[in-house]
Amino acid sequence: MAIIGLVAIYSATQGPVSEFLPDYIQNNFAKQLLWVALAIVFVLCFQFFTPRSYMQLSYLFYAIGIVLMICTFLFGTEINGAKSWLRIGFFNLQSSEIMKIATILATAQYLTSRRDITAENIRYALTAVAMILVPTIFVILQNDFGTAIVFLALIPVMLFWSGLPYGVSIYIVSPAFILYLTVFDWKLGAIATILISFLIFMVQKRVWLTVTSLITGIITVVGVNVALTDILQPHQIARITAFTNPAFDPTGAGWNVIQAKTAIGSGGLLGKGFMEGTQTQLKFLPEQWTDFISCVIGEEFGFMGLGLLVVTFLFLFLRLLKQAGNHKHPFAQLVTVSVTAVFFIHFVVNIGSATALLPVIGIPLPFVSYGGSAFLTNSLMLAICLNMDLYKRDFSIYR
Amino acid sequence: MNNSSNRIRTSIFALQAIMVLICLVVLGRIFYLQIIQYEVYDELGDKNSIRQEYVDAARGLIYDRNGTLLVDNQPIYSVTITPLNFDTKNIPLLADLLGESDSLVTELVNDAKRYSRFRTSKLITDVDFKVFSLIQENLWQLPGIGHQIDSKRNYPAPITASHIFGYLREADENDYKQTQSIRLGDKIGKSGLELYYQDNLKGDLGINYLKVNALGQSLGKYTEQKIAKPPVQGDNLITTIDADLQAFAEQLMKGKSGGIVAMNPHTGEILALVSSPEYEVKKLAGRIDKEYWQFINSDSTRPLFNRAISSRQPPGSTFKPLMGIIGLHLGIVTPETEIYNSGYYIRGRPYKDLADPGLYDMESAIAHSSNTYFLSVMDKIATSGKLNTWSKLAKDFGLGVPNNIDLPSANRGILPDSTYLDNRFGKNKWGLGDVLNFGIGQGLVSASPLQIAQMTSSIVNGGYKIEPHLLRAVVRADGSIEQNNSTKEKIDWVKDEYLNTVKKGMRRNVSEGSGKFYAAVPEIEVSGKTGTAQNPFGFSHGWYTSFAPSQSPEIVVTVFLENAGWASISAVPIASLILEKYLKGEVERQWLVNYVLNFVPKEDNSEASVSNE
Repeated sequence: MAIIGLVAIYSATQGPVSEFLPDYIQNNFAKQLLWVALAIVFVLCFQFFTPRSYMQLSYLFYAIGIVLMICTFLFGTEINGAKSWLRIGFFNLQSSEIMKIATILATAQYLTSRRDITAENIRYALTAVAMILVPTIFVILQNDFGTAIVFLALIPVMLFWSGLPYGVSIYIVSPAFILYLTVFDWKLGAIATILISFLIFMVQKRVWLTVTSLITGIITVVGVNVALTDILQPHQIARITAFTNPAFDPTGAGWNVIQAKTAIGSGGLLGKGFMEGTQTQLKFLPEQWTDFISCVIGEEFGFMGLGLLVVTFLFLFLRLLKQAGNHKHPFAQLVTVSVTAVFFIHFVVNIGSATALLPVIGIPLPFVSYGGSAFLTNSLMLAICLNMDLYKRDFSIYR
Repeated sequence: MNNSSNRIRTSIFALQAIMVLICLVVLGRIFYLQIIQYEVYDELGDKNSIRQEYVDAARGLIYDRNGTLLVDNQPIYSVTITPLNFDTKNIPLLADLLGESDSLVTELVNDAKRYSRFRTSKLITDVDFKVFSLIQENLWQLPGIGHQIDSKRNYPAPITASHIFGYLREADENDYKQTQSIRLGDKIGKSGLELYYQDNLKGDLGINYLKVNALGQSLGKYTEQKIAKPPVQGDNLITTIDADLQAFAEQLMKGKSGGIVAMNPHTGEILALVSSPEYEVKKLAGRIDKEYWQFINSDSTRPLFNRAISSRQPPGSTFKPLMGIIGLHLGIVTPETEIYNSGYYIRGRPYKDLADPGLYDMESAIAHSSNTYFLSVMDKIATSGKLNTWSKLAKDFGLGVPNNIDLPSANRGILPDSTYLDNRFGKNKWGLGDVLNFGIGQGLVSASPLQIAQMTSSIVNGGYKIEPHLLRAVVRADGSIEQNNSTKEKIDWVKDEYLNTVKKGMRRNVSEGSGKFYAAVPEIEVSGKTGTAQNPFGFSHGWYTSFAPSQSPEIVVTVFLENAGWASISAVPIASLILEKYLKGEVERQWLVNYVLNFVPKEDNSEASVSNE
């Protein structure tokens, strides 16, 4: 019950953060307020279900989700270059958001349905990967790169939780890390490759895995360099250059990065005050009510505001993970961890984009950014976690 | 089971550790941006959103001597473009709204691009208000297009006076490199009073700080911290011009070529100044009509040339009164000295004298313009080696020296001395034959109408050198008035008796000499002197300088007409009408006005080489 309070407070404190941004897009705020209210009602009502019910319905959800994705692909409306929205009646539904839940539930259900299914078995592991990859492909077809990353990130997390060895888990994640460093400097990537391989060897003393990791690392480093020079199209390279060196094209590809950094940087310790941010109020920031919302907070409430936000999120993550540890049922554990991972990836990519730690990838900040489907989905995910926590004792009996 | 829960605990710990670690990185990054680099980004943020904008000052107004507004400002509407934000797909729509052709608009857009892709420049200026409103209404469909209200010069008085006012043009590279206070595209005076008093008229630029958004759209004034500077209006000029007289003089000069200067002989205040043909200064305000600009620059009649102050012509017989004064001063003649005219003055060659044969004293020599008299005076000056003295004395009357009129491009004329002649012909390569002509204002002696008016003024004001000027007072933006005091300097060697003799001659020139047909004004005593300048290319140029009332002169009028033939029937009536207009306020002799307006030049078919009207 304490967690319900947390959610309520969380919704209450974080939801209205969106208030100060759309003073030209007031409609958005009203809509968002409606969504928040709707979400709270939804979260509360959801507690009448038992975990068992949606556990059993998870495959159906998944199937419906895939159908929705196909519909979106065929009849979807395009917003900001991403064809992710399906118009239903009065509102636009972002099917990929719904799909996140469906994928988590279905994959978790699959991986925990039988005791003998663990990620250590390559066949089961690949099935799980396939379950995640199918919606990922649709998301990529929708041109929504940010969401695709969230899906992809689910793979190592879910497999890891389902018994994938530590070493292999690290190995799966390592290319992303190496890639990130290589974009800056191939030497950093190379050093990371060696360190990761060493770490894998330390965790799981398997020579073949270490060697594979080393080779993969080298391929990544070389591949990135080749891609940067030969394969990638100019506009993609421009985006990467914009990330590593935004001043290169300040009014073009580097614009977002510079403006976002400027917004956050000019906030200082205490910020410019509510509705006082020059960067945000004067519309220098693109998509400030969704992808760059953290800049708004950073500029207007300064380091205190943004820091508090980060700490709050960290608290939420740690809290969810602790919950996961308390669960007796592997399904509950896996779902909770996956939900945490989804939130975490959203959080890191969003704040990372705004602070130029990561290339700009359009992805909303959970519960803070404007977006009905996303808010509802996030609430639903949280509701599931709460629900499972609520029925923790009962649920464990069902094992 | 135990193993599994162990693994779960470790996994959770690992995940928590990763999350804490990454959150710390994020916090560190935020700390770095917001606290350590705060100053860098704070400044960047300000620069981003606050833009400095110059506010043009209203240019000073120009009034006539009676307070009639001559030049003011009128708002004009301009359409601006920022090429970076402009989509060329919108050219047809833009052209349609502007009522111009697609090709013209494309050309203008390309011009703007060449200037700068990022900076806003004027696409088209001085558009019709209706067009301007249309553009404003459709601004939302035309990203990159803006609008601006400027001003242009407006000329409410019914006078042209283009050579007095001068025109404005946008400052080019040379202009703004010369002066710090001029920016590219500022409208600055390029001729006339607008140029001469540019610094007074221009005012001080104001500075505004504006909040702008990412699209550069202004969101109102930014008043915190920085203090905006309001523009200071340019000084207003009160000129010495009499608008009524100017308008009348311009009317009389229509279709003629030449210059008129009407001046107060005691102060040097110019009452009217006309150069004809004129250009329409109105057509050079606002959007430049390229065809018109090319026309006035290339036309053979040279409408941009200010004949009243810049032309350089032999003054002919109008020079004779001054010759008389110098002759008296040098003791070559006395007022009573009589010289016989046989019809020719023979010195190396015969110089024709059109005055009736007989004895002439100075008065009658001026009245009837006897060449013989003044040729003989010049002869004696030259042969007694006093050429340079003669030149120096004549220069005291403002000839051959620059005058300080407050208009650019006044010509100093020529008053030769031995140095000049040496330079011109070579040492010892010139002789009496080249010098003798000077005595009747021919040969190398040359002057502008303004200089002849100035010379005449010095004769009639009792021998004072005056400075012709157009500015009466400057009225500053704060209301303070600075009078332009006329300076007056006695020419020390000039004695009243010289002047009286000469003035009597000039009076008689009107009453019995060549001026008798048209010069006289009913009820007013008028004095004057006609003259003819040789013109190897066609009809000779006519001169006439006059003043009235003869006893206490209030005005000097000098008229110079190119290719008009006899001055007595061309220049004289014009001067007479101007005197009448000024002294009586109204012109009663409408028949004479009609005569002047319909005047067709007639040339004597005799040898006009040295005519003496």
